[in-house]
Amino acid sequence: MGPNGGGKSTLVRLLNGLLKPDSGAVRVLGLDPAEKPFEVRRRLGVLFQDPDNNLVAPFVEDDVAFGLENLGVRREEMRERVKKAIRDVGLEGFERREPHTLSGGEKQRVALAGILAVEPDVLVLDEPTAMLDAEGRREVLDRIRKLRRTKTILHVTHHLEEVLDADRILVLNGGRLVADVSPERLVLDAGLLRENRLALPPVLRISHELGLGFCRTPEDLARAILQKAAKRAELR
Amino acid sequence: MKLELVDVWHVYSPGTEFEVAALRGVSLSVESGEILGVVGGTGSGKSTLAQHMNLLLTPTRGRVLVDGVDAAAMRKRDLRRRVGLVFQFPEQALFAPTVEEDVAFAPRQLGLGEDEIRRRVQNSLEAVGASHLTGRFPHALSGGERRRVAIAGILAMEPEVLVLDEPTAGLDPAAREDLLGLVSRFRDESRSVVLISHDLDEVAEVADRVCVLEKGEVRAVGTPAEVFYENLDVAPATVRVVSELHGVYPDLGRPVRFGETLQALRGLLEA
Amino acid sequence: MVGAGRTFGRFYPAVSLLHELDPRAKILATAIFILGIFLVGSIPGLLEVAAALAVLVVASRVPPGVFLRTLRPVAIIVILTALFQILFSREGVTLFEWGILQVHEGGLSMGFFLALRILLLVLAAGLLTATTSPVALADGVEDLLSPLKRFRFPAHEVAMMTTIALRFIPTLQEEAQKIMNAQAARGASFAEGGLIRRAQAFRPVLVPLTVGAFRRADELAEAMESRGYRGGEGRTRYRELRFQVRDALALAVAALVIALGALL
Repeated sequence: MGPNGGGKSTLVRLLNGLLKPDSGAVRVLGLDPAEKPFEVRRRLGVLFQDPDNNLVAPFVEDDVAFGLENLGVRREEMRERVKKAIRDVGLEGFERREPHTLSGGEKQRVALAGILAVEPDVLVLDEPTAMLDAEGRREVLDRIRKLRRTKTILHVTHHLEEVLDADRILVLNGGRLVADVSPERLVLDAGLLRENRLALPPVLRISHELGLGFCRTPEDLARAILQKAAKRAELR
Repeated sequence: MKLELVDVWHVYSPGTEFEVAALRGVSLSVESGEILGVVGGTGSGKSTLAQHMNLLLTPTRGRVLVDGVDAAAMRKRDLRRRVGLVFQFPEQALFAPTVEEDVAFAPRQLGLGEDEIRRRVQNSLEAVGASHLTGRFPHALSGGERRRVAIAGILAMEPEVLVLDEPTAGLDPAAREDLLGLVSRFRDESRSVVLISHDLDEVAEVADRVCVLEKGEVRAVGTPAEVFYENLDVAPATVRVVSELHGVYPDLGRPVRFGETLQALRGLLEA
Repeated sequence: MVGAGRTFGRFYPAVSLLHELDPRAKILATAIFILGIFLVGSIPGLLEVAAALAVLVVASRVPPGVFLRTLRPVAIIVILTALFQILFSREGVTLFEWGILQVHEGGLSMGFFLALRILLLVLAAGLLTATTSPVALADGVEDLLSPLKRFRFPAHEVAMMTTIALRFIPTLQEEAQKIMNAQAARGASFAEGGLIRRAQAFRPVLVPLTVGAFRRADELAEAMESRGYRGGEGRTRYRELRFQVRDALALAVAALVIALGALL
């Protein structure tokens, strides 16, 4: 996370060799992406922000197959993997659809399928929901959540609520790594939030203001309020 | 001015296999000087509705009235000046080499004199807090700045109704907050604002009245407190928290905005 | 917008023998038709070709309206060509005379002949694009051009470019519409004034459209590279091309139709 111009996109592009570092070194699963970009790219898939610009082919199934074609996978195997990837993102029946007939959320799921078909170990998501409406966001986030624990996921986003169940949150600002903390720590650190122009979702903001700790849903927050009120009554 | 939609229907591609009824008998009014929030999910017809307000789309059935007069009988040019429509991602339509020239486009189309054009460009850039960007190249600006400049391009027509379709979509949280702060200032005695958004928290913060659109129909319309407390599935976080507590604390009232909600909850804990 | 109409040369998915033929066979058959139509020198010959194409239209199970729409953009050219011949040719018997206006038999038949020729050319091309998906078309083109790779002809790149172009035409159309709407909301008018004023009115559309297209090109290139694209070498194809007996038959039929037309 971090403000625009903080270096998030640059970092993503360094990871798969689209950019080379001026100094220092990048290693992905022990490989240098600047030297072995193709080796790295089959192990680290990137989903970018603009749903339209993630899709190359005029049909869903052809697009999902694109990465496999690049790898030279045999056709029979390709069919299997395309089918499975499309099923994994819940788009069975969309195989012959043209991208421009899909919603933003559906396009991102197609793009995700194209990346999953290659079976990478690392998944990098570069603000995948920034251009989607609420429904599209939910669809894409649901799919990402299902991939949890199956892969290493690096999720770049402006929305704190999208990464509240992350193991770690890295904050980039002005091209520097300014924090590497747990989500629980981050939401309680007012200074860190302010300095990096990070906004808390309303529920967390209220619970923060009332000193109620880490409440994620309105129901959690209401419960915490009731508990605190009961405790106060007892004291009295 | 008062803008009314009376039983408006809109059908895309009628008579073909792609036929879709995006609006099904929408009746709605925008009163002078108010901020009307329109919320609804994908396929609710929000964007189609926006384009009916200045007749970029014409209703398949029904009428749009401006101060009681049928908008279809007005000159398109006058109507579009009086009802300023800011589309989703409006910065995609920036085209001039400088911010100043881009904002001047609409007043120039109106055939105004150079002095008046200059005055309007200044005023509208000021209104979006972008006076310092006058001579800059639009595409070299940040996302939030580009968005504000694009909105200034519509404000320069000095519209009586300003329609904003998802004005904060795709912005980072800081830019979003900046822009939202501006929205309530676009409204004055003579100018109303229609804020179309899927973000309930955002609408709750600034709207005087709220309209919930669902599958092309108006599901509810009224003050934010009325609408949100009676339709909890489309309510912002603040309302959902308070309504959870209503069972135990019926006297909490019906706060909607963040500030008033926080105050009510604080009162409860400190009582 | 929702359900935007289909434009010229768009694929129309349906189940028919024509859809199932190998794209290479269809591309070659279309080439035979297009070159052949220029060899056919008589109206009866063209009518025979027209009859054959009409049968194919029916066999394609694509609604005839789709083809009529593809003919619309060339209608003006067809009418102008025909009128030019009818009004200015002085061959054959005079059929009609009014002041300086004269219509001769030779002009009338020449006008009809040329108009029919243009219509058939467009129809033949339309049949190909309506029954062949963009992907299959690109694969077919790449395959047919691949012998040229020996002469360093970039057959794969040409095919990839075609695929991407076909993929992005609807996206850019939508974008153009959005930008036109946005400018219309700022008082731009695209239907007023003379030709020059109208052309100027499009500057606020063309500039952002071009800027947007370049941005897309950039981002698409990044996405393609990130997905391991490195040109045609070592690449496999998802779709299989199989040239069967029926494909050979289709070519033979196309050649026969043209040969018969040329003789008539």
